[in-house]
Amino acid sequence: MADRIVKPEDARASDDVLRVEHVAKRFGPVTALRDVNLHLRKGEVLGLLGDNGAGKSTLMKIISGFQKPDEGRMVVKDEEVELRSVDHARSLGIDCVYQDLALVNELSVYHNMFLKREKLLRPLPLLANRAMKREARAALDQIGVNVPRLDVPVARLSGGQRQAIAVARTVNSDADIILLDEPLAAMGAKEGAMILDLVARLREEGRVSIIMIAHNYVHVLQSCDRVNLIQDGEITFDRPTAETSVEELNEIVVEEYRRARMAALGDQAA
Amino acid sequence: MSDVRTESGAPTRAPADPPQHEPPLQAGRRPTAGDMARRFLTLREGSIVVVTVLAAIYFAVQNDRFFTQANFENLLPYFAPFAILAAGEVLLMVAGEIDLSIGSVYLFAPFMFYEFNQAGIPLIPCLILALLCCAVVGIINGVFTEIIGVSSFITTLGMLLGLGGLTLIISHAQPVAMPGAEVTSKTVNVTHVVNGQTVTLPEKVNEIGTFAKIFGGGIYSELIWALIIVVAVQVLLTLTRWGMYTIAVGGNKHGAAEAGINVRWTVIRNFIVCSIFAGFVGVLEAVRASSVTPDTAGASETMFRAVSAAVIGGTLLAGGEGTAVGALFGALFLGILRDGLTLEGVNADYLDFILGVAILGAMAINVYVGRVRKGSGRG
Repeated sequence: MADRIVKPEDARASDDVLRVEHVAKRFGPVTALRDVNLHLRKGEVLGLLGDNGAGKSTLMKIISGFQKPDEGRMVVKDEEVELRSVDHARSLGIDCVYQDLALVNELSVYHNMFLKREKLLRPLPLLANRAMKREARAALDQIGVNVPRLDVPVARLSGGQRQAIAVARTVNSDADIILLDEPLAAMGAKEGAMILDLVARLREEGRVSIIMIAHNYVHVLQSCDRVNLIQDGEITFDRPTAETSVEELNEIVVEEYRRARMAALGDQAA
Repeated sequence: MSDVRTESGAPTRAPADPPQHEPPLQAGRRPTAGDMARRFLTLREGSIVVVTVLAAIYFAVQNDRFFTQANFENLLPYFAPFAILAAGEVLLMVAGEIDLSIGSVYLFAPFMFYEFNQAGIPLIPCLILALLCCAVVGIINGVFTEIIGVSSFITTLGMLLGLGGLTLIISHAQPVAMPGAEVTSKTVNVTHVVNGQTVTLPEKVNEIGTFAKIFGGGIYSELIWALIIVVAVQVLLTLTRWGMYTIAVGGNKHGAAEAGINVRWTVIRNFIVCSIFAGFVGVLEAVRASSVTPDTAGASETMFRAVSAAVIGGTLLAGGEGTAVGALFGALFLGILRDGLTLEGVNADYLDFILGVAILGAMAINVYVGRVRKGSGRG
């Protein structure tokens, strides 16, 4: 299996903005992550594939400071860190668009976009609503999201619009390590294309590094520089997208399924 | 009300153009009176304002004495204290929690005030110390709810009973005279003009101290405090980070945590504020009455009225939405009903029955208007 993992080519390691080493996480009797090693280079878009329950979202939550790993260490921009909170991760430039979006239905679009990054009318402790609304409008326009009104509660928006707002919120922040947990879920074809365009543009600019979880292999091969496959709590495959194909990825996943099935049959026979 | 009715004919309006709090940025046409009326009615607090005004008009038509200075003064204690209690409760309810212990805190604070004063501490520091005790109650409520993980309903129910009991123990179940609220009588010469002649006669005049005038004893003292606190809570909820985080926690607790909001602290500080308000109202009421009786049953009823005022005012029990201004009107509505029915000479046996029916009616209107506001059936 070693050939499936291309080692970070010798000297290139210093390019890494993020390294996750031997990270493990258990929830009671369930082992979500066994021993994860992952690295992210500056300006790179890394696609993270894996079946449901393979540990993708858990890994995202650990990198974004929402959950603490049981074992292992993280190196962010050449400094070993132990993330204390989401705020701590954010102060290091790591921000995540969660699968469940972390939007508050009752708050307006622009309040959601600035949640935890509010602008205040200094020296007064009051919210600078007008400025936030203006900036939110500019940010959404730049991405090309069509949200007619920003003062409506996000409960009124479609799934795709909500997703776009969650992505825009993170992209518009100061973060330079962005985690996208299934950004294309709940999106129509048109909105999905918009997000992929956005990722492509960010990749071109090269300012931010992105880890993107996706289910669609075609999307991953098209918008990522490198692809990692997480199986059963471990990274089992790490290649530049140029050196792999949909067929190969498919084959690996199906192979795992067959192996698991054989093992299950074997257990039954025994 | 016709605006509301026309809405029901078209419940599937395009969600892109729903009635809103603020006028749209790119208003294509000037809003007509109908638009304005609809926008007002669909404000979170719009329906309770209308219901309150209707109730006031009804009683004014029924009884000449309703719109008089004397009756207004009668009405004040029926609603001002509840407006303050409800404002604190709104903060917690928006965060998705509830505080039932405000009834006992309301009773507990004046007794602590009394005890501190007996220890020789001046009035203002006594008030501050009593409110600090209330803050501690809020912290305990918050810690049990947010850190230990007991639901706030149960936590504060326990606190309601326990703190009520503690108040009985401290007071030996005996009423006390409120320090600082003593009434002094003196005789002054007052000049009247009778039939064109000036007559000067000695009259007895009752006076209370400055502390009492400010903290509950003055006729408008509670009303002024209520207005200050309601406005402050409304500003807090709508214009500050505190309010934004409170709404976020009440609306989507998990999401708020993922966004990096300190959920525990957000809830706990609202518990603290709610308790302090309740204790403050307790002291105001005790000073107004110049004595306080450890009546735990009455305290629970006070709590229920405050929660009703908040809910009638348009605050959701489920969290995420609420308004202190609505709660003020909720309290005013309940006050007008009670005062108006009493003025009408309604048999006391019927009073609670009519109040109950009125609360259900007001809530039904609220839910209905809420549905129209959201442009969906999710009311």
